[in-house]
Amino acid sequence: MQFGIFTVGDVTTDPTNGRTPTENERIKAMMQIALKAEEVGLDVFATGEHHNHPFVPSSPTTMLGWIAARTEKIILSTATTLITTNDPVKIAEDYAMLQHLADGRVDLLMGRGNTGPVYPWFGQDIRTGIPLAIENYGLLRRLWREDVVDWEGKFRTPLQGFTSTPRPLDGVPPFVWHGSIRSPEIAEQAAYYGDGFLHNGIFWPFDHSKRMIEFYRKRWAHYGHGAEDQAIVGVGGQIFMRKNSQDAVNEFRPYFDNAPVYGHGPTLEDFSRETPLTVGSPEQITERLLSYRTHFGDFQRMMLLVDHAGLPLKTVLEQLDMLGEDVLPVLRKEFAIGRPAHIPDAPTHASLVAAAATENVLEEVQS
Amino acid sequence: MTTRKLFVVSAGLSQPSSSRLLADHLATATARELRARGEEVEVRTIELRDHAHDVVNNTLTGFAPGALREVLDAVAAADGLIVVTPTFRASYSGLFKSFFDVVEEEALADKPVLIGATGGTPRHSLVLEHAVRPLFAYLRSVVVPTGVYAASEDWGTGGGKAHQGLAQRIDRAAGEMAALITMREPVTVADPFESAPSFDQLLG
Repeated sequence: MQFGIFTVGDVTTDPTNGRTPTENERIKAMMQIALKAEEVGLDVFATGEHHNHPFVPSSPTTMLGWIAARTEKIILSTATTLITTNDPVKIAEDYAMLQHLADGRVDLLMGRGNTGPVYPWFGQDIRTGIPLAIENYGLLRRLWREDVVDWEGKFRTPLQGFTSTPRPLDGVPPFVWHGSIRSPEIAEQAAYYGDGFLHNGIFWPFDHSKRMIEFYRKRWAHYGHGAEDQAIVGVGGQIFMRKNSQDAVNEFRPYFDNAPVYGHGPTLEDFSRETPLTVGSPEQITERLLSYRTHFGDFQRMMLLVDHAGLPLKTVLEQLDMLGEDVLPVLRKEFAIGRPAHIPDAPTHASLVAAAATENVLEEVQS
Repeated sequence: MTTRKLFVVSAGLSQPSSSRLLADHLATATARELRARGEEVEVRTIELRDHAHDVVNNTLTGFAPGALREVLDAVAAADGLIVVTPTFRASYSGLFKSFFDVVEEEALADKPVLIGATGGTPRHSLVLEHAVRPLFAYLRSVVVPTGVYAASEDWGTGGGKAHQGLAQRIDRAAGEMAALITMREPVTVADPFESAPSFDQLLG
């Protein structure tokens, strides 16, 4: 079971003092948060990708490369990589390069992301979001797995005798998760390839996430990758904590009330009841996060949002300290209890290299 | 025999509300007409003011909180919809529109809808034709030919001419609504995951 945090990289005014960080301050803060994530024992740090204000992370591999050079263990990932408007050739090369620099500590979450206006800036159309995600990802897979690629599709220029460089580290491409809030087509895509499916339902009711994940599990089994409960599932969460639960509620409320996405809408209490958002003591946070298993079954990765809505860096770092000290050890222990032996862990570079070696041995024996 | 489900939406804001009163009259008359055609009928009525905050929250967050989710599911599952709005600034109320903004578009396709409106003056009566009917035409509903508008004077007591006129319009609309419902199969709601395309289909 992997636990991580993800940032969407929003530059938001702190509603308690009216101060808006500069882009430079926010970018540097995100890097401090990533380093802290490793320090407190989290398994994954992921960054979103955006090309529109008020978001800053337009260049994830630059950011993740910086983090890779300063960390030892943490897996670097995305939340999400835009498989629609990015060139799959550039994704193949950028993330293979990152994979080498990070000694394999890299995986990706593919998403369509984006609001309508972003697509035309990159020569695409949001109405073809699903076909783009299908075609571009199909090409990306081949670029990572075949040394020389001849390819022709609908959306980008054809390739003749093209070799994506560098080749993936140890000949093993980064593991890929697919993310979608609403489209069964993307769960279907993840199931077809035997890739992971991460449902980040942080702004959505549990019931909705549950249906998407159940659909993915069913289709995963349909395509012969294993039993439904062996599918590779990730889920999103959102937390804010203080030792005393009322302090957490009081401190977080102005950030909640003014947050992008849900601010000026539901009350903190309503939203906490309907969605995974949990505000309270470390014990309450732990209990709620453990309850995800009753909704989704045993899963492989949990990604938490802790640094948005204008929360100051100091507060976010305090959140991470509490997460590492008071919450994570209990989550690791409790999630392991009663977890059936046949449920796989999330793939890592090491496990994928081992699996590839086993496959090679089998092929040699057979030939 | 399947029970026909009538779902009634009143966007009246005051209590008591003349929109609710008109909605109740339309519902009673439609249920009576359906029973006269040998159908079992179940009527459920909501007032949008009870869901006003959830409707706004849904427009801001993209999902319907629990109680509203249940209402939207009931709308999709209804065999016919009766909708009544007060007239605000020569159109439907903002709350009325906001509610239908969060109803899934396909949910109202081919669904019989009986439209009603209330207002302080008969001069607003065309609100049904220039605002409400086009909205449901866009949603591909089957809008009952007779829409029922009730101005203050239509509610006159004592069986005067205006009152008789309203009662007649209600009966005529209810008859048309019942006919549209009975010529259709009872509504069943499809599971979106059952109809999701397979990967072969996605590859085209």
